[in-house]
Amino acid sequence: MDLRYSEQQEILKKSAKDFLTKECPKAKVRELEQDAKGYDPALWQKMGELGWLGFNIPEDYEGMGYSFEDLTMHIEEVGKNILPGPYISTVVNTFAIVEAGTDEQKKDLLPKISNGNCILTLAWLEENGLFDASGITLKAAQKGNDYVLNGAKLFVDGGHVAHNMIVVARTKDGAGEDGITLFLVDAKAAGIKAEVIPTIAQDHLCEVVFKDVAVSAKNVLGKVDKGWAILQMLIRKGSILKSAESFGGLQAVFEMTVAYAKERIQYDRPIGAFQALQHKMSDMWIALGTSKFLLYEAAWKESEGEPSAKEASMTKAYINEAYKLITALGVKLHGGIGTSSDHDVPLYYRRAKAADTAYGSTDYHRELVARHIGMK
Amino acid sequence: MDFRLTEEQVARRKEIYKVCEELEKKKPKSYVGFESQFDNQDGWDFHRYCAKEFAKRGWLALGWPEEYGGTGTMMDKVLLAEARGYYDLPGSDIFGVSMLAPTLLAAGSEDIKREFLPKIASAEIMFCELWSEPNAGSDLAGMTSSAVRKGDEFIVNGQKTWNTGAHFADWGFGVYKSDPAARKHHNLTFILNDMKDKGVTVRGIPYMNGSHVYNEVYLDDVHMSAKYIVGQENEGWAVVNVLAGFERSNMDMVYGLVKAQEELVNFCNETKRNGKPLSQDPLIRNRIAEFACSIEAVRTLAYRVADQQNRNEMGLMDAASVKVFASELLEKFGQIATDLLGPHGQVKHSKWAKLNGSAEYNYQACFVPIVSMGTNEIQRNIIAWYGLGLPRMK
Repeated sequence: MDLRYSEQQEILKKSAKDFLTKECPKAKVRELEQDAKGYDPALWQKMGELGWLGFNIPEDYEGMGYSFEDLTMHIEEVGKNILPGPYISTVVNTFAIVEAGTDEQKKDLLPKISNGNCILTLAWLEENGLFDASGITLKAAQKGNDYVLNGAKLFVDGGHVAHNMIVVARTKDGAGEDGITLFLVDAKAAGIKAEVIPTIAQDHLCEVVFKDVAVSAKNVLGKVDKGWAILQMLIRKGSILKSAESFGGLQAVFEMTVAYAKERIQYDRPIGAFQALQHKMSDMWIALGTSKFLLYEAAWKESEGEPSAKEASMTKAYINEAYKLITALGVKLHGGIGTSSDHDVPLYYRRAKAADTAYGSTDYHRELVARHIGMK
Repeated sequence: MDFRLTEEQVARRKEIYKVCEELEKKKPKSYVGFESQFDNQDGWDFHRYCAKEFAKRGWLALGWPEEYGGTGTMMDKVLLAEARGYYDLPGSDIFGVSMLAPTLLAAGSEDIKREFLPKIASAEIMFCELWSEPNAGSDLAGMTSSAVRKGDEFIVNGQKTWNTGAHFADWGFGVYKSDPAARKHHNLTFILNDMKDKGVTVRGIPYMNGSHVYNEVYLDDVHMSAKYIVGQENEGWAVVNVLAGFERSNMDMVYGLVKAQEELVNFCNETKRNGKPLSQDPLIRNRIAEFACSIEAVRTLAYRVADQQNRNEMGLMDAASVKVFASELLEKFGQIATDLLGPHGQVKHSKWAKLNGSAEYNYQACFVPIVSMGTNEIQRNIIAWYGLGLPRMK
């Protein structure tokens, strides 16, 4: 047992921190919230050059081949800074191709993703807002060598700027896990229309409408009707990585809050001298500590190839709540200034809600946890 | 990071769990929860029996240096706490084994180590703590009981309180004001005494559930030998701080929660209401899953504390977090379990009780870990002042 970051991980963390501090200050975060694209293509290119988009891509496909735990730790650092755009989505969705893609699909897409030339998003959720298999209703009807997609997806991260998307569709009648197929779709194909939804984090989640979109059978990802298992894998890995981002964010808010409490003077003393505030900050620290090793236990198991679904769901359910708790306390402890849109704390507070629904809400994951702990 | 135990540790864990599983079968029926070891003679006898069983395997001296009879590693100590917590077993004197022994190793004279460590390791003597006073609770430095030096002895007078298990303990360790003229933090002496010494009177303070855990201890002209000073005369505060540093990973409390969760899940699976098992009620599933996530979170942090201790790092802030979080989870368990049991939630251990009465028990007993060993509010102060560097209250 050794529950410390390795030396190499500390170096990775530092380089991510240095890069983002320079390239993505909060002014840029705010600017990108209002930007039509919602991400900075030049920054994306640089990330590609640094290998950030290929961390989880094998070296054979021009990636870095890092471990899942290293990736988790890197994303933690990204979350600390905030990086607008479909970065985490692209990284998570890449796993579907790495683990379930054909050699041709891998050769076609992985080097492009790794080099920063392909944003890969996931078209999963729909109007019904359900995270489980019964929520998938978008139809893919077979027609010769093609499948024809009709329907609409919601909350597609960067759907308007993506180059490719993984579309979760129904290829068989019913509402169960069987009969769901994943398709690799060119995001600019005829019949696809994306529109940005105004969301709390202004993070450019889109509605994507598919009208008679023809997709070749060779673009099925995995096996026909058996896509749910791949999606579950994405939800599992995505839950861990999204939690890593949240864990970074909650640390940032915790640090900002403690620093502010030491410098803000009221009643002739720093407000951090008051116990009413001290104990709230101690509770923030406790939430931080309990989040950290829950997250890294899940990441470590995922890295080792051990079953990690229970830990991933526990992590997501727990950190969803911890992030909201800590950012809300961060706003309150800053007082009036903490409610200003010019202040950094609300940037994180808004993202805590956005992160909460990505890859499954608290209640969705608690239901999975209930199954894992043996509730019949 | 690496969460894996070594092969050797896995084997050790198995061995420890096996011994504890056997000991559980000998547990008196009335033994429910950690405080039961102090409540009555059956509980105390079982505590001593388990202690002897652990002692003969060397498990009360885990992680000590070999020259003082030490065996195993700090991690073995954590594994034993884990198994004891899971099976709700006593047998490891919290005052002697967990607090005093490491303090003696760090701050005791050679003579005192040679005299007491073997007796702690063999479970020959059990300790109690004589710290708090009626007017010195969290603010320990404000104590008034006095130890006046007279040759090779101290004459001790005063009143101590909240002395867990003092009615059964063989020896006590206490702090007394030994130099009224000296400045704060340089006026206390840490001394060990035989609880059978003349002038020591122990009176029980019934806990809210009627059980006998706490006591008041009156000291009237008690002669304590100067050879039983730990550390330096008038420098007892430093020893108190060393001892406080040995607060543990609280792995026993954490694994008590792991077991509580398992029992709650089984209860919900087996209990039908309106023709359906409780386990199929979405609100109940959500509530228990939330509880399970929190337990896993604190379990992993407790392992971080253990990992640090194993490297001889202190990890005080994380240890404080575990103490606060786990004890407040126990409070939550008392609430969830008494709710789920419906009218049976109020039933004490008896033929009418569900879950052996552990719900009703923890609804009250949870405050023992919450207010003892530095209340959770004191722990929050410690985190704020020493961990976060916020200004100390004056």
